[in-house]
Amino acid sequence: MKKRILTLALTAVMAIGLLSGCTLQKTVRVDKHSPAGEGTAVGGVSNKVKVDPYTEDVKIAYIAHDLSTPNNQAWLEGIERETSSWSNITVQSFNAESSAETQVQLMADAINQKFNAIIVQCSDGTALAPSVEQAEEAGIPVITLNLDADTVHSALVMAPDYDAGRMAADKMAEQIGENGNIAIIQGVPGLHRTDNLEKGFRDTIANYPNIKIVDAQSASFEKEKAMTVMNSFLQSHPDLKGVFAINDAMAEGAALAAESAGKGGGQICIWGADGEKDALEMIENGQLSGTIYTNSWDQGSTAAKIALLMMSSEYSYNVLTETPEVIMEPVVATKDTVGTIDEKDRW
Amino acid sequence: MSGEKKTFSVSKYSKLIILAVFILALSILRPKAFLTVGNISNVLWSVSVIGIMVSGTIYVFLLGGIDLSIETLCGLTAVVIVEVVTHMGNSVGGVIVGILAALGVGALAGLLHGFVITKFKVPAFLVTFATQSVFLGLSMIITNNKIVSCTKPKLFTMIGSTWVSIILMVIIAAFSWFLLSRTVFGRRTYAVGGNATAAEISGINVAKNTILCYVISGLTTAIGGIVLASMTQQAMASTGSGYTNDVITAGVIGGVSLLGGQGTVQGAIFGAVLMGLLNNGLNLMSVPSTQAGLVKGIVIIVAVAFDAMQHADQSRKKVRKVVKKA
Repeated sequence: MKKRILTLALTAVMAIGLLSGCTLQKTVRVDKHSPAGEGTAVGGVSNKVKVDPYTEDVKIAYIAHDLSTPNNQAWLEGIERETSSWSNITVQSFNAESSAETQVQLMADAINQKFNAIIVQCSDGTALAPSVEQAEEAGIPVITLNLDADTVHSALVMAPDYDAGRMAADKMAEQIGENGNIAIIQGVPGLHRTDNLEKGFRDTIANYPNIKIVDAQSASFEKEKAMTVMNSFLQSHPDLKGVFAINDAMAEGAALAAESAGKGGGQICIWGADGEKDALEMIENGQLSGTIYTNSWDQGSTAAKIALLMMSSEYSYNVLTETPEVIMEPVVATKDTVGTIDEKDRW
Repeated sequence: MSGEKKTFSVSKYSKLIILAVFILALSILRPKAFLTVGNISNVLWSVSVIGIMVSGTIYVFLLGGIDLSIETLCGLTAVVIVEVVTHMGNSVGGVIVGILAALGVGALAGLLHGFVITKFKVPAFLVTFATQSVFLGLSMIITNNKIVSCTKPKLFTMIGSTWVSIILMVIIAAFSWFLLSRTVFGRRTYAVGGNATAAEISGINVAKNTILCYVISGLTTAIGGIVLASMTQQAMASTGSGYTNDVITAGVIGGVSLLGGQGTVQGAIFGAVLMGLLNNGLNLMSVPSTQAGLVKGIVIIVAVAFDAMQHADQSRKKVRKVVKKA
């Protein structure tokens, strides 16, 4: 009850502030769900206790969506690199094995064990929102990676999604001469990141009147399923000129399928997104046409830096009106540009 | 009685009829795309791993046992072959050693399952549930939870190519069919699954039979893992995830009873092919993935209900015959 009154009071104060003209300019992204509303701080309770992460013993929890994916693994390595010089900082990783329910349990465990910060990729932004809020209330800053939680929290460090789709679309259009039939291999429907990638791609392709998206099927992010999907694309659309896969694993599968059907070596323009090591190698060999690369090691270490910053700061999530975002630099990797990605930056 | 022999029995061929109806429907709906050699081979190729694995795990199902470790054992064997091949410099010799190592791991896993189940009388569900976790853990440790790629040599990537994997499935299924329907071991397996106590009393070495069944299951799972690794040219701890479910589903759709004693290899292969056709059909018709699940579920219920109805008719007829005689 007390909390609700406090929230109401703070909301009222902020509303008055709004009316009197001290509005914050806010850029709204397409995918943003800000539960707090326009320009209103969350104003929830926070029991945050400031610590000095460079002298005191602190522990960071990394709750992965699926630790066996190269991306999730690279993030962990990034976090560990960032903190490895300080023996007082411990990083513990947890694997949710692609289940949002497991992630909710792991979040509860991390809160109970009084971790000083939590870095998490939310399998489901809505399902994880109460856990993220609980952690923040307990004074544990939460930093999300790529997949956001539907509640205001300390920070979101993300690879571009909508823009990555846009970039892939423009480059692919150029490669196929702005003309022809293309198809999309989707991930699991309903995830912010993948939906935005697809949306960015579709919106941009709409600018090219001679390119038609003739099919879209899900392969659940899996290489092997993508091979089956690609095979059926090749059967039903023999004139297919391009395929955009929402992640690299599926793009690699599509490329292998195209090869075994005698249409390999770039005859069909296949794009992925993420930029994992194997995909970059396939681009170099001419098996894949391109991908949108982001440095996942850097992304992990950025999240760790923010975690350390937040632990040591007196700021808490309740002064925020929306989750602050760090967006990683996207690199359009094609056969011409892939060489610019240094070997040591390939995860 | 001679008149009865001549009449065409729907029940005996009900599975083939379902397949024919499916193929006919898809040929009409997608005339250009469906009935091509390329597409049919795609369908068979996409179910080849399930087909290979179910040809062996069916022995476990026939015993009334279950194997929950299929997917992680498949992952472990995939990891083993890829690791061996890459460590031996992607050589042809490496592939041969890798295949033997993976098969060894599969057989050993089966031996372990069979031994614990028969010796300590632990239910198969528990044993394989535990080993499932063990195999996953081993794969994670071996790979350090990373993807291991392996794109060379040709001998390795060839195993999972369309025709080789289909031929492998056919050979293994045929061998399994032979073993099950034409040998003493096969008949004993049905007997043990039907009633283990009765089998024991009639002089069958139930323990030995059970262990052998689990070894066969481990071996085919390993072959599945090898094919899968070659198909995707990589392996990781999560390779094969979802296959336990697929293999059990293929078996059950094909009329294999999880209570034991009932089912055939050709039935299980039918189950796998039906699932493959269904997925292929949904893809060719461009059914969006949001609706695919619904359509798939309904079609499976209709197909299985038709099949079950035919068999119920058959057994009713049998009863009637017996009653008449009496």
